[in-house]
Amino acid sequence: MKKKRTKLLVFFALAGILVLFYMIGESYCEGLSRGSSLEEKNEVMCKYKYDMIVDSPNSSFWQAVYDCAQEWAQKNDAILELRGSGRESDYSKLDYMNMSIASNSDGIILQYSGEQGLEAKINEAVQKGIPVVTVMGDAVHSKRQSFVGVSDYQLGSAYGEKVAEYVTEDTESILILLKKNIDDMNQSQIYTQISNAAQAKAGSLQNIQITGKNLRLTGTFETEEAVTDIFQQRDKIPDILVCMDEETTECARQAVLDFNLAGKVTIIGYYSSEDILTAVEKGVISVTCDVDTEQLGRYSIEALTAYQKDGRTNSYYNVDINFLDKNAVREMRRKGVSG
Amino acid sequence: MKQLRWKDFSLVSKIVIEVGMIAVLLFAMNMLFYVRINNSMQKMDNVYASNAELTELSQVFEKVQDNMYKYLKVKNSQTLLDYYQNEAKYRNELEKLNEDNINDPVKLLERNIRKMSETYLDCTAETVAAKRGRNVEQYKRKYDDATKLYRYIQSSIDELNNLMFQENSSTYAVLRAVMRYLEISNSVIMIIIVAGGMLLLIQATRNMFVPLSNMAETAQLVGQGNFHVKMHDTDAQDELGTVTRAFNTMVENLDLYMARTKASMEKEQQMMERELLMENHLKEAQLKYLQSQINPHFLFNSLNAGAQLAMMEDAEQTGIFVEKMADFFRYNVKKGQEDATLGEELEAVDNYIYILNVRFAGDIHFSKEVDESLENVRMPSMILQPVVENAVNHGIRDIEWEGKIHLTVTGDADYIRISVKDNGKGMTQEQIEGVLSGNREHRNEEGDSTGIGMNNVISRLELYYEESGLMEINSEGEGKGTEAVIYIPVHEN
Repeated sequence: MKKKRTKLLVFFALAGILVLFYMIGESYCEGLSRGSSLEEKNEVMCKYKYDMIVDSPNSSFWQAVYDCAQEWAQKNDAILELRGSGRESDYSKLDYMNMSIASNSDGIILQYSGEQGLEAKINEAVQKGIPVVTVMGDAVHSKRQSFVGVSDYQLGSAYGEKVAEYVTEDTESILILLKKNIDDMNQSQIYTQISNAAQAKAGSLQNIQITGKNLRLTGTFETEEAVTDIFQQRDKIPDILVCMDEETTECARQAVLDFNLAGKVTIIGYYSSEDILTAVEKGVISVTCDVDTEQLGRYSIEALTAYQKDGRTNSYYNVDINFLDKNAVREMRRKGVSG
Repeated sequence: MKQLRWKDFSLVSKIVIEVGMIAVLLFAMNMLFYVRINNSMQKMDNVYASNAELTELSQVFEKVQDNMYKYLKVKNSQTLLDYYQNEAKYRNELEKLNEDNINDPVKLLERNIRKMSETYLDCTAETVAAKRGRNVEQYKRKYDDATKLYRYIQSSIDELNNLMFQENSSTYAVLRAVMRYLEISNSVIMIIIVAGGMLLLIQATRNMFVPLSNMAETAQLVGQGNFHVKMHDTDAQDELGTVTRAFNTMVENLDLYMARTKASMEKEQQMMERELLMENHLKEAQLKYLQSQINPHFLFNSLNAGAQLAMMEDAEQTGIFVEKMADFFRYNVKKGQEDATLGEELEAVDNYIYILNVRFAGDIHFSKEVDESLENVRMPSMILQPVVENAVNHGIRDIEWEGKIHLTVTGDADYIRISVKDNGKGMTQEQIEGVLSGNREHRNEEGDSTGIGMNNVISRLELYYEESGLMEINSEGEGKGTEAVIYIPVHEN
């Protein structure tokens, strides 16, 4: 009798193990098949949807801005889409504006660089109840709700100060690389500010040739070619090269290295990507202007949120800029390492 | 209601149930695997369904644009109808797309496509309306807008398709892994179940056949003559239970028959032994006579001749004496081999007393009291005479007073009681026990005896009637006489 009971027990234990085995397997299987879609399950539904339209959405500068802005957007019940970041398309900012308007976006963050028709688009969007916030470049004459960034005047005088620091007696030429949709350099506040500051430093005796070059983009890789062109004309290589965006700065750095001109050409750069910082540290780039990306992102969203909530917003948000030279970068790294 | 027990099922049912259960288990397992694999296959089928749907959406979308273009080109009611149909269809398709602001690239793209499409459809509607209203400038402008939107939407759909394809591809890879897992787990489960089933089947079959092999062993033992082995008792109602019980009953019965046969054989043996013994005793008695009377016929004839001679000489007394002697010896010789009647026995006693009285000049006073109806009762021969002789030789011989012997024959329903009583020396209790147990022989007086001892008489009586205690000797002590009583069972007659 006892033997029989033991047998029965063993039988049931085996059956139990089998069932357990099967169930574990099944749940593993379920988990596996659900695992793939699990990541997307973490979906958040938001009230607002904003679009961000910038020149080079994949640059680390705009990525940094986007990351901050998205963070703030989420805090304010909104999602932010960085237009053109995911695809290799030849859509212009105008096209993206069209798309945003057509898809009833709740707000547009736009980097305005003076493209033709863009102001009209801004006005169209605003007319359709979509608030537009311009960043880094302002469309002063449009109906945009707000501008976030550094005004050209401010940026120009800051750069002017820096350029003036590097102007010596031997300085013969200064080249300013801009990306603006303007026909005459004199229309650019940046150019005039830098130019004025440099001239003031040099004084009337020294004749410094100050040129502005507009790298208005018409196609891919254009910047690289334009910068390389400058360095290929041996006699026309400037003593001070002022770059007003990240891409140009990186191209200039590469060209200086390629043409073995490190230390001979003073580059005043823009933005603090890893490559640029390393270049500053090594002395390839003399100094770089660091725009506070966090402020940029945050203020953009704040402007839109304020408009959605109250129907109006500040028309101007000022973002801090900061120049980093070799010592400052080292200091920063030291803090970064120890902190 | 009777409880249904496993051991009550027949062997065929048991095997059918066991094999059936394993078959059902395997079948169920197969079905399970089928369902599992089918599920996965379905999931796999569904993987690219979203891409297919999107492609369909894109096609309908193209048709809307196409129909609008055709209508603008040639104002045709059929194309207008087509346009409206496709527009409705496209709106339906759009319903499937997400319209909420969700932070997922796919969902966001869906939302954009949906919203843009709505704008686009408004735009096309305006275009068509303008065309119908012949507002040339407006429909051209609206058509340009619509076409621009068309390009945006189409590229967005392409992008979405791409995104979905990437996502689906990873899902597909996962499903491939799931299928692989299913394959392995199915094999493992199958192996376990088949092995377990085999073990169970072996166990069950063994359980079934253990009683059979036990029975074979037991049967061998029984065949060797051991009837005390038995199978374990069972109340199972299957064939094995029936066979086990039948086997046990058979062994029991065999045992019983053997015991009976043995008993009857023993009885037979006993009977044979008894007969042999009786014959021996008779032979012994006869031998005694033959020893003492070498040629009885010669002696009878001589005695007869003597009796005739006495008659002729007118010696009547002598003649009677010799005749009685002759009768006595003749009876001894004749009846030595068979039984006799009580009357014949009494006659022999009379003759013997007569002879003794002649010899001892009438010293023996013999009297008898006989129920004459009992004279024809048969009994072993030569019983009474030795008893009377005993009474004469050991009772009244050499006594000072007058010796008397009294013989009484009475009867009741069970026994005939023959009492031989003397007033002689009497016996002690020891002597009585010695005589009755047959230990004590009176060999010293053999010379004057007819030769048959008391133990011979007792033995023959007991053998004849197969009963003991048929002789009884009573004496109140020395000098107070002795009574020997013989009981003859009546039922034998």
